Amino acid sequence: MSAVDRAAALVQGVAAGIPGLAERIPGVAPVGALVDGARDGPWRVLVAEDSMRPALEPGDWLLTDPTIRDWPRRGTIVVVREPDSDLLAIKRVAARPGDIIRTSDGPIRLSPTQAWLLGDDRAISHDSRQYGPVGLDRLLARAWFRYGPAGRTGRLTAR
Amino acid sequence: MFRLADWLAPKTVVHAHCDIPCGIYDPAGAQQAARTVARMVELIGQIDAGSTTLADRNKFVRCVEVKEEHAEIVKREVQVIWSDYFKPEHLEANPDLHTKVWNVLKLAGKNKQNVDTEAAAQLEAAVKEFSEIFWSTKK
Repeated sequence: MSAVDRAAALVQGVAAGIPGLAERIPGVAPVGALVDGARDGPWRVLVAEDSMRPALEPGDWLLTDPTIRDWPRRGTIVVVREPDSDLLAIKRVAARPGDIIRTSDGPIRLSPTQAWLLGDDRAISHDSRQYGPVGLDRLLARAWFRYGPAGRTGRLTAR
Repeated sequence: MFRLADWLAPKTVVHAHCDIPCGIYDPAGAQQAARTVARMVELIGQIDAGSTTLADRNKFVRCVEVKEEHAEIVKREVQVIWSDYFKPEHLEANPDLHTKVWNVLKLAGKNKQNVDTEAAAQLEAAVKEFSEIFWSTKK
């Protein structure tokens, strides 16, 4: 997908999230018929639970990009469908396809479609340490901007 | 009425999933207290009912007091989780939650009033069931 397509997709996504607006803008498709790739992923999400603190607090409002097709670079925050529970989860990419992970059972090399995800608060986070590598088919979106609450808005940075 | 916040708020909730229950909620306290009640009923039953020795009378009073105290702990612990932790969506998944909580509280009262092995076993079972509902909401 080109940069122009991605920008168009984002505009469409924001419009689609606003009731009634998508229909009024010519050329903006209704939700569900958006760009290829934005199949089920959300455009805006509300954070619950504490495992991404201090980067994300429960109650944060985030803009997310569901047009993403591959694992983003290390440190990026992503929305995935959790392998062991099917819960919608938000975690950080700790390792990408091809990387080698050291686990208590010895090293694992991630396949070309797998990533290793961790929560920032390691002490309490439920993540790849429990459910193992996460397949690309479970990746739904990339979180890139916090738009609420007021005072905490801004781009989300990799770390 | 139109509210900007409603309009802007995300509709999708994503979980920064934790393994440790957020906050202080844990039904283990209620379970331990229910187990203590049952154990006290057992100990009271072992005291010779006709005995008037100081040692037996002392043990009897202590066991009754601990039973009373722990039945109260069961009530308090369960009530706090019920009122503070459970949310409407949990009730949707467990429509009989209110009845079950009510049952636990009634059984705790019954165990204060009586020395009854069966009532103590029922209390333990009811608290265990409550605890299972609690943990089912953490999955």
